[in-house]
Amino acid sequence: MTGRNSKTLIAAFIFSLFAGAPGLAAAQSRVAIGVTETMETFNPYGDSVSLLYGIWCQVLGCLGTYDFDKGEYEGMLAERWEVKDPKTWIFHLRKNAKFHDGSPLTAADVVHSFNRIRTDPQSKQKQNIAPIASAAALDQYTVQFTTKQPTAPLTEYLFDRFIVTSKAIYDKYGADVADRKHPIGAGPYKFKELIPGQRFVITKNPDYPGMREKKQAPDELIFRIMREPEQRVTALLNGEIQIAQFIPPHLRERVEKGPNSKIVPTDSVEIMFLAMSPKFKPWDNKLLRQAVAHAIDRDTIIATLLKGEATRLDGPIGPGQYGYSPNLKPKYEYNPEKARQLVKQAGFPNGVDVDYYTPVGRYTLDKQISEAMVPMLNAVGIRTRLQTPEWATLWANVQAGKVPFYYMGRGSVVDPSVALSQYFETGGSPRIGYSNQKFDKLLAQERQTFDPSKRKKVLSEAMSLLTEEAPAHFLWRHQMLYGIAKNIDYKPTPSGRIFGDEIRVLR
Amino acid sequence: MASYLVRRLAGTIPVLLLITLLVFLLLHAAPGDPASLLLSDATSEADVLEARQRWGLDQPLHVQYLKFFTAAVTGDLGKSFRFAQPVAELIATRLPATVELAAFSILIAVTLAVPLGVWAGARPNSWVDNLGTSFGLFGISMPNFWMGIMLILLFSGSFHLLPSAGRSTYGVVGAQETGFYFLGSLLGGNWPGLKDALLHMAMPGLALGANMIGILMRVTRSSVLEVLHEEYVVTARAKGMAERRVLWRHVLSNALIPIITVAGLELGTLLSGSIIVETVFAWPGMGSLLITGVTSRDYPLVMGLVMMYTAAFVTINLVIDALYGIIDPRIRY
Repeated sequence: MTGRNSKTLIAAFIFSLFAGAPGLAAAQSRVAIGVTETMETFNPYGDSVSLLYGIWCQVLGCLGTYDFDKGEYEGMLAERWEVKDPKTWIFHLRKNAKFHDGSPLTAADVVHSFNRIRTDPQSKQKQNIAPIASAAALDQYTVQFTTKQPTAPLTEYLFDRFIVTSKAIYDKYGADVADRKHPIGAGPYKFKELIPGQRFVITKNPDYPGMREKKQAPDELIFRIMREPEQRVTALLNGEIQIAQFIPPHLRERVEKGPNSKIVPTDSVEIMFLAMSPKFKPWDNKLLRQAVAHAIDRDTIIATLLKGEATRLDGPIGPGQYGYSPNLKPKYEYNPEKARQLVKQAGFPNGVDVDYYTPVGRYTLDKQISEAMVPMLNAVGIRTRLQTPEWATLWANVQAGKVPFYYMGRGSVVDPSVALSQYFETGGSPRIGYSNQKFDKLLAQERQTFDPSKRKKVLSEAMSLLTEEAPAHFLWRHQMLYGIAKNIDYKPTPSGRIFGDEIRVLR
Repeated sequence: MASYLVRRLAGTIPVLLLITLLVFLLLHAAPGDPASLLLSDATSEADVLEARQRWGLDQPLHVQYLKFFTAAVTGDLGKSFRFAQPVAELIATRLPATVELAAFSILIAVTLAVPLGVWAGARPNSWVDNLGTSFGLFGISMPNFWMGIMLILLFSGSFHLLPSAGRSTYGVVGAQETGFYFLGSLLGGNWPGLKDALLHMAMPGLALGANMIGILMRVTRSSVLEVLHEEYVVTARAKGMAERRVLWRHVLSNALIPIITVAGLELGTLLSGSIIVETVFAWPGMGSLLITGVTSRDYPLVMGLVMMYTAAFVTINLVIDALYGIIDPRIRY
């Protein structure tokens, strides 16, 4: 080798080391999203987190989704559905729904998916089909679900949740190989790459109905795991990602000051509340529970601690959630004088001592919020000792019904029926241990009322009763802040799902 | 030597037994139930019970431990509750990331700390020494997570020079089959992959290695200072040997024993440090997996990882002991 040749080679080597990555098509639009959930399993039924439901839903396909703007459920693979009788639901599939390999998606695939959710040993999604006794294919494009009890809110269980996978591929390869090697679905995006613990990459499927017209929808979506908020913000400012999930309030300013980034808030569907279990004294006393409701100054907490990034709840749910009514009564205004009187009327003329439990680091500023509530309670005669156990401990005790008074959130509340039953119906769960026959009756009636407007009315009645009885004092829904690059037009959804066809790349 | 190694290897069995037992008991003593933490909020009581049965949590503690240990001895670490995959498989996918990062940190630490230490030791109280000592003190004093965050803010946030998180850029071909991105790219002549791996490793490697740099530098310095006063060094100088040769041939080789001992000990610290650093940099290694395991009370996953860490620690100690014999011929086993 001559000296000149070796110099050229060395120069080529150095150039290649510092040159950009080859082979990236410039015309491709790519959006990377920093997300907080882990992604470890190739099995679409092997996890139960909002983000993954969303990814699998747009890759493999799901029956339908909830439209937060319209406040109603919309079909995706199902084009329409009907209730034949209170226990029989019929779903009509889109006849043009095709898997990415060109084969048609049929009712047999939906029934297969139902069976997999129910029997797959890795399945963490059984709760989504809990009300359903059986599934049957009536013809190629019609599926019948038979429920155990009349279940009007069945779509709340299924939509955004029921992922459809191919029966043919499963039969040919078995679960493990089918999931790992052949993740072929019928959604608007296709599976490209999943590296457990790192990233999930999906690419646009132009053959999906309507996708060709959505020219600004990104060609590729990369979901990158970034659990630390600091990380997500820096990566956004550094241009490594274009969307950063869940920016905590104290980092908001950094994102807003970035030359190419902005903050877009969205209401979450997680309702925050103070639970007061009537199983324990003194919380068996309704007047004391109502006193708590009057003692907490929610507006001040929202305005100061939360910097306005929360929406006050008057009742269990708020705008955008199914069955919300702005006229729900009663409404608890902040009134320490009235709270003091109620404490006295409750039979505690000298005040009362209680223990109050808060999670730490689980919800936005949970401990700080609780610390602000303690003096408010003390001021009306409810002398409060703050307890701050580790989350795993607190959660296990709450689930076992051992905690009398605590701050908590319930996520994924689109239609409130399931959550209300879980926390407040007799036998729903031991978490609060509230029992009220009239409330139980209303919930049972609501589940059997299939006319939406009548059902909303019954739901309202139940929620009104619950608010008046106050086994929990409903506080607010946090606003979730998303950091988004300025060249991206995206309105995040309250449920935390991220769909590529709802994102527009502007330039 | 061989019989010594066999004896030492046999000695690791009770160590593993004790450590796994201790961790098992601690895990179960900590409140919190995997079923309630891992299953969806809406899961029915019946399904929770079913999961607990499937995971064997309904059995007495000693039965659970015996089952774990007898299976672990045959190489079966069980299935993770959280990921429903064999723990061994999960560890295998994460191990290369941790090993590569740790190796890179050691490389940075040794190449920086040893020459600096020798230099400082050879010229005590000079400006080189003062600078090196301050540098060492800085490395020792900075907690690695803080150092990591500062590096991210500086090199990613302000200068936009380095990627803030992760192990590779999507679209840049990496050696993903083996899991060793740097080594695989290097051996395969994949320069974009190599560059990408290096850029991603730079900050976590430095954050993880900073502490080791400080300690190694100080130990090298004091060890060199001590050896400099030995008679054979005076003899070497008296013979007219060049100072550089005295330093590298006679001083450093004799100063190596304490350096290697400390480096070995520090490797253990490095492994535990990687748990935090991996979280700060979203590095998909065993450390971040352990954090996920602990927070969700994924018993098999935590047990499997702790076994791996213990085995690594024991192996490192064994290798260091074996190295003594090679470096110092006077040491015989």
